[in-house]
Amino acid sequence: MTKVTTADEFVLQVRGLGVRYQTSQGTVHAVSDVSFEVRKNEVFGIAGESGCGKSTLIRALLRLLPDNADSAAELALYRDQDLYGLSDADFRQNILWQEISLVPQSAMNSLNPVYRVGDQVVEAIRTHRRVSKAEARGRVAELFDVVGLQADLMQSFPHEFSGGMRQRAMIAMSLALDPGLIIMDEPTTGLDVLVQERILRRIREIRSEISSSIILITHDIAVIAEMSDRIAIMYGGQFMEQANAIDLFENPYHPYTLGLKNAFPSIRELGSELISIPGSPPTLVGPVTNCPFQPRCPFHLDRCASENPLPINFGEDHQVRCFRSEDANQLRHLAAEKSTWRSLN
Amino acid sequence: MLDYTLRRLVYTLITMFAVASILFVLFRMLPGEPTMQVISPAMDAAVQERMKEAFGLNEPLWKQYFIYLKNLVTLEWGRSFVSAQEVTDILSYRFWNTLLLMAAGMCLTLVLGIGLGIVMAWRRNSALDIGGTVVGLVFQATPPFITGLLLLIVLSYRLGIFPTGGMYPPGQRPDGLFDLLMMPAFWERIVLPTITVGAYYISTPMLIMRDSMLEVLGSDFIELAKAKGLKPRVVMLRHAARNALLGVVTISGIMIGFAVGGQVVVESLFSWPGMGQLMVESAASHDYPVAQGTFLMLAMLVISLNFFTDILYCYLDPRIKITAAGMN
Repeated sequence: MTKVTTADEFVLQVRGLGVRYQTSQGTVHAVSDVSFEVRKNEVFGIAGESGCGKSTLIRALLRLLPDNADSAAELALYRDQDLYGLSDADFRQNILWQEISLVPQSAMNSLNPVYRVGDQVVEAIRTHRRVSKAEARGRVAELFDVVGLQADLMQSFPHEFSGGMRQRAMIAMSLALDPGLIIMDEPTTGLDVLVQERILRRIREIRSEISSSIILITHDIAVIAEMSDRIAIMYGGQFMEQANAIDLFENPYHPYTLGLKNAFPSIRELGSELISIPGSPPTLVGPVTNCPFQPRCPFHLDRCASENPLPINFGEDHQVRCFRSEDANQLRHLAAEKSTWRSLN
Repeated sequence: MLDYTLRRLVYTLITMFAVASILFVLFRMLPGEPTMQVISPAMDAAVQERMKEAFGLNEPLWKQYFIYLKNLVTLEWGRSFVSAQEVTDILSYRFWNTLLLMAAGMCLTLVLGIGLGIVMAWRRNSALDIGGTVVGLVFQATPPFITGLLLLIVLSYRLGIFPTGGMYPPGQRPDGLFDLLMMPAFWERIVLPTITVGAYYISTPMLIMRDSMLEVLGSDFIELAKAKGLKPRVVMLRHAARNALLGVVTISGIMIGFAVGGQVVVESLFSWPGMGQLMVESAASHDYPVAQGTFLMLAMLVISLNFFTDILYCYLDPRIKITAAGMN
């Protein structure tokens, strides 16, 4: 880090986080050597294909991993608390929801069908705060107003809500205790485009009113580009590249980022052809001994197959894991050609 | 909710009517004239005729059917051919005895079964989970008359811990239900039949609860409940078990129906003066009015229990109301 930063500028600091699953096929290294910081009031976006380890990463942070998984980190600080050092009871009572809340991937199924929506938010509040039911209900009415739901909808059951309404209710719930960090896991996946747009607009409006930082996880490059201050591109359980949002899209270094950019339509370059990256993501079984993107990378070198590159810093706030990051200018040029990606097959 | 309840009530009444009608036909199809028991063929033809008239047996069948239905509703269920007591009097005494034993057996089955199912799913693949499944299945595979006999042989005849049968000591007939419930001898006697019933049926709610718990535990709302920072016990009971209960309620209604039928064996084995035993006795002695009354009463019991199960289910799962309203 060239820039001098003080610790209290960060809400979350993670260094060298890894998660392994023991499966019948062997040990799966779902997340390996992930390091990042989330600063105050910022939206930190994590983008990647399905199965790249984004959901595992946040489950590790929230201690929601299944029994066959174990995770460790050199450093995992929320403000000044060591997330891995706390007892389960401490973590549950003082970190979960109170400090780090979650907008889950499937809002459709994340509300318990047999309880009223309002009561489920009340439950979140009363688990951590000693307030009366009436006070908690008052807070829920406030929150519903913030996300654009009428207060009397508190009395409804989840099946009476549309997908968009449930997502709003989930966002209301995540705001309930003014947490320092809200993790939004694919908050708009599964909603139709119009509802998606309205939810995103609402999240942006809320952002200006609250002081929470947000980790936004999605496979949708367009959403992440629109919402985030800083972005990490995840592949095969690693952060391939991370930078502030503008820098990442203007000066991408990693071949995977270049490929992702090609695969999504851009408003600025209307009419440009979409190019997909051939191949499929790695299975992550066994120890990581190569660059996970190497089999799909049109620019790979011989050493990419036997060595995993370490992150290299470019400028103040731009990190890349690639042996060819010095050749970025040349790669950017080549990556725009469709034939580059086809030659792999 | 009210709408749904009313609809269920109408269905229930229709079912009861159908059962009553089937019983009417069945009892007239039974081998041997029902009147043989009371009207001796040795009697004078004119006397036979007069007696048939007194019983209404000279009327055409359709008229008898309507008289039968009217008598059912007005609780004129006739008199026993054997003891000449009113059938309703006999039944009202026997009914409570059966209900007591069933309630004890089903409480044991449901409370223990559901509780064990919850913990087994929560600690999947633990010794309790595997042991519970095996023991439950062994009990289920053992007919109640075997379990009951084994219990009687070991705990009554060999060790003498429990009395061998009956509901109270001979010659100490209690005055009414309250008096009965205050007798320690009654509680001593209800233990073995309760265990027999419980052992046979426990695997049903236990394994169903375990399965639906496992299914519910994989749901997204369980993960969210954990993320909310709820204590594991709260997640297990308030979120997982509460939802998993839905499957058990459905099965319980059916299971209790079977258990009513199973009462016949258990009551006979433990000389429990309930309706199951009465059914066997009255059928053996060709006491048609009593047999008919017993069948009817047991059928009504099962149908009513199913009705209450439906209502309970509706109360437990708010989504049902929408479905019911959508049917209009």
